[in-house]
Amino acid sequence: MSTPTHLTKTITDPEEAMTHSIQTPVLDRSPERRGPAEPRPRTRASLVSQAKELFTGLGPGIIVPLVLMLGLVAAAAIPAALAPSGPLDMNPAEAFTAPGTAHWFGTDESGRDVFSRVIHGARSSLLIGVLATVIGLGTAVVLGALAGLGTRAVDFGVSRFLEVLFAFPGLLLALLVITILGPGVVTTTIAVGLSAAPGYARMIRSQVLSVRRSGYVEASIVQGKSRAFIVRHHILPNVAAPLFVLATLGVGQAIVWASSLSFLGLGATPPDPEWGSMLSLGRLYIGNAWWLTFFPGLFIVLSAATTTLLGHGIQRKLKDK
Amino acid sequence: MKNRQPAYQAEPANAPRSAGSPLATTAGTLRKRLPLTVAAVGALLVLTACGGAVHADSAQGPSRAPVSGGTLVYATGDTEPACLDPIVSGNVPQALVSTQYLEPLFFQDENGEVGPWLAKSWKWSKDRLALDITVRQDVHFTDGQQLNAETIIRNVAYIKDPKTLSSTGILAVEKVASVEKISEFTARLHLSEPDNALLEHFAQVWVPIQSQKALARGAEANCLSPVGTGPFKVESWSKQQEVVLTRNDDYHTPAPTAGHSGPAYMEKIIWRFLPDHAARFAALQSGEVDVIDVLQPQNAVAAKADPALDTLIGSRPGHVVNLTLNTTEDPFNDVRVREAFVRSVDVDAALKSIFMSTVPRSNSVLSSITKFNRQNPDAYSTDVDKANRLLDEAGWTARDSEGYRTKDGQRLSTTAIQTEAVLVPVSVFEQFQHSAKAVGFELVINQEEPASFNAKRYAWDYGISPLYYTKNSPSVLNIVYDSAHIPSVIKGGYHANNNGLTGPAADAIDQALRLAATTGSEKERGELYAKAQQLIDKQYLSLPIFDQQTRLGFRSDVEGVRLLSPLGMPTFYDTWLDRS
Repeated sequence: MSTPTHLTKTITDPEEAMTHSIQTPVLDRSPERRGPAEPRPRTRASLVSQAKELFTGLGPGIIVPLVLMLGLVAAAAIPAALAPSGPLDMNPAEAFTAPGTAHWFGTDESGRDVFSRVIHGARSSLLIGVLATVIGLGTAVVLGALAGLGTRAVDFGVSRFLEVLFAFPGLLLALLVITILGPGVVTTTIAVGLSAAPGYARMIRSQVLSVRRSGYVEASIVQGKSRAFIVRHHILPNVAAPLFVLATLGVGQAIVWASSLSFLGLGATPPDPEWGSMLSLGRLYIGNAWWLTFFPGLFIVLSAATTTLLGHGIQRKLKDK
Repeated sequence: MKNRQPAYQAEPANAPRSAGSPLATTAGTLRKRLPLTVAAVGALLVLTACGGAVHADSAQGPSRAPVSGGTLVYATGDTEPACLDPIVSGNVPQALVSTQYLEPLFFQDENGEVGPWLAKSWKWSKDRLALDITVRQDVHFTDGQQLNAETIIRNVAYIKDPKTLSSTGILAVEKVASVEKISEFTARLHLSEPDNALLEHFAQVWVPIQSQKALARGAEANCLSPVGTGPFKVESWSKQQEVVLTRNDDYHTPAPTAGHSGPAYMEKIIWRFLPDHAARFAALQSGEVDVIDVLQPQNAVAAKADPALDTLIGSRPGHVVNLTLNTTEDPFNDVRVREAFVRSVDVDAALKSIFMSTVPRSNSVLSSITKFNRQNPDAYSTDVDKANRLLDEAGWTARDSEGYRTKDGQRLSTTAIQTEAVLVPVSVFEQFQHSAKAVGFELVINQEEPASFNAKRYAWDYGISPLYYTKNSPSVLNIVYDSAHIPSVIKGGYHANNNGLTGPAADAIDQALRLAATTGSEKERGELYAKAQQLIDKQYLSLPIFDQQTRLGFRSDVEGVRLLSPLGMPTFYDTWLDRS
C-alpha cells in the first residue's frame, strides 16, 4: 500500500488533520514493522526481543484483550479440544450440579456440562458477531460512499433514508427484520448487521466527504487521475483505518445484540448452545442455580468487552502516533 | 376400579374443612404410584413437606380467630382472560378468577359425587331425557336479582346463543334441547339423548349461574362485569393490569366444604397479571403480592426452603398434560412408530431433573383426580430395546450419515410444536430429542408463539403437540378422543380431537366412549371408560406426562388458602391475613 504520505502534510483543516493522524500511520508503518528488509537499527536483535518489543510497544490496553480474544477464537475454532464433553451430551441424573471439579461451570437442567456448552457457544457468538459486522459495514460502505461521492441529490436521498432508519432504535430495527424474515441464526445475523449499518454509513459518509475535500485528492484531480483511481488510492485507504476500528468495536456490539435476540427466543434454536439462549433458560433457575446465568453472561460480557477494548486500544495507539 | 378407589377418595386438594388435608390428600394420590417411579418418591417428599407447611398454618389457625378485612393481592401467571364471563370461550384463566364471583348449580366433591349448591334438589325422569332442577329460594345475585327457574332458562339460552361464542359451556349443554319452567323455582331440562355427565357439567364454573338481568345487558357488558352469587363481585378491570374484586357482604351460599359461613374475610382482592415467572416469584418473595399461581418447580423448591412462603399444589381433573401424536401423516400413521417414540423417551428422568421432582408422573390419559382414571405404567414406561425392535419391524432399518433411521430414502423424523403456554418447557423436548436420537428418531423442535402454535395445531401442521383439557368428568375423553371431533368447529379452526385417528381402531374407541357417555348405570359407565382407556392406550395416541396442576405459592401469613373441587381452582372465601 503506497499511500502518498507527503501529501497528507498539506492538510490544514484541524479536523481533517486529526482524522489523518489516526489513519495513515497504520497504513504506513505496518508493512515497515513486519518487513525485515527495512533498514532499522534493531534489525539484528533476536526474534525474541523483537517480539518483546512488539509486545511492549502495543501496551497492556491491547495485549490483555488480544490474549482473551485469542482464547475465544481458539474456543470457536477447536471447541472439541477444549471442552470436556459435547454440547448436547445429556445426563438428567446429574442435573443442576454446582460448579466443581467434575463440572467447572456446573450442569444445567438436563445435566449438560455448562462449561462445554459455553465453549461450544463461542463459535456461533463470534461468527454472528463478525458476520453481522461484515454485513453492516459492507452495507454501510456502499451507502456511505454513495452519499459521500454521489451527486447532491444522491447524497440527499441516502442521508434522508439513513435518518429514517435512525428513527428506530437498533434492536427494534433488528426485531423488525426478524419479523419479516422469521427467527433463526441466519436471520439474526442479517438483522443485527442491517440494523448496525445506518450508524456506520453516516460515519463513512463524513469520512469520505472529508477525504474528498482534502488537498491530495485535489492534487490528484489536477493531475488528471481518473475517478476510480482516486477512490482506490485515496478514498478507500483513508476510510479503511477508521473502518477497522469501527469493525472491532462493532463486533462486540453485534455479539451483545445477537445474544439479546437469542435471549428473546428469536435467534439460535434449541438445543444449540448459544450464550443468549442459555442465559434466557438459566434465568428461570436464577434462584436455584446461579451458574446457569452467570457463566454464559460472563462470556457475553467478556467477548463484548474484549473486542471493544481491542478497538479502543488500537484507536488510542493510532492516535498516539 | 375398586382397588384405586381409596386412593381416589383420599384425593384432591379441596377438602377445605381441615386445612391440612389438601396436600395430605395430594400425597395420598401419590402413594398409589409410589412404587412406580423414583420421581414420585421425590415428589411425595416435597409435597408432604409442603403439606406440612400448610398444616402448620392451620395449627396456628385455632389459636387465632380469623381477622376480617384487608386486601389480598393475587398475581396470576396464566394469561389474562379476554372476558371475565367464563361462558364466553371458557378456559382456565377465566376459571381461576371467576371462581371468586360465580357459582354453579351443583357441587362435585373430591370423590366425584355431585351434591346441591345453588340448586336445592334434582330429579331425573325414567327415560333420563328430562331433568327437573329446583333451586334455592333464598339466593339473590349481587345486582339484587333473585335466583329462580327463569334464571336457568336464561343462562342455558345465553350459552347456546351462537353470538355468545361459548366453547366449553356449549359442549356442556350440548344434549340440552330445551328448558321449561315448571314452577317459580323449578325448571325442567329436556335432553336430546341421555347424558350421564350433565350434573358434572353443571358443577363447573364454566357453566355458572349468572343474573338474568345482567345477561340481558349483552355479552360486551357482561364480559366486563359478570354478576353472580359468589363471595366476591367484580368492581373494575384495568386491562393488562388487574381486576379488582370486592367482598359480597350479603353472601350466604358457601360451598359445602367451606370453612365458615357468612361473608368472606377479605374485603378486597386485587387480581394482577404478571406473566413472567421469575418476576412473579420475586414479587412474592418481596411481599409485593400475597399469592401467585403457576408456581414453577424450581420456585416451589425455593419456597419450601423459605419460612416466609408456603405452597399449595393440587391436581386438576381432565385430560392430562400430554404429547399428542398426529396420526394423519408420516411417521405416526403407524402405531408401531407411535409406540416406539413413547418407549424411547424418558419422562421420569425429565420430571426428576427439569421439574426437580415436584410434579408426579401420570400414566393415564385421565387425570389422577378424574373418576375412572386408569393408570397404566406398563404402556408408557421407557423401553429402548422395544423401541428399536418396533422401528425395525416397521421397516425403518437403514441409517443415514447422521445416524437417523431411514425407509425408502426418507428419514424417520417428526416435528414438535412447543409454546410456553402449554406447560411443557422446551427443555423437556430437548431431553426427548436426545433420547429419541438414540433410537435413530429425529425430533425437530419448533418454538412457537401462542398464536402460531394454535394456527399450526388447527391446520394439523405438527407431528407432536403438547395439550391438555380441563374437565371434571371422564367424559373429557369423549371430547378429545371421539373421531367425531376431528373436523374443525369452524373451518380451519379449533378441533378438539388432535390425534386424528380414523379406521377400525378409532371406531372401537368411539363406540366405547359413546356407550360410556349414555349408559344409566354408573358401574357400566366405569367399565366402559376403562375399556375406552385401554383402547386409547393401545393405540399410543398420546404420551401422558403429568396432571394439570394448580400451583400456588403464598406468604405464610396468608391463612385459609384452599382449592375448590371439582376443578381445583383457588378460592379465597376462607382466606384471611394474619398480620396484626
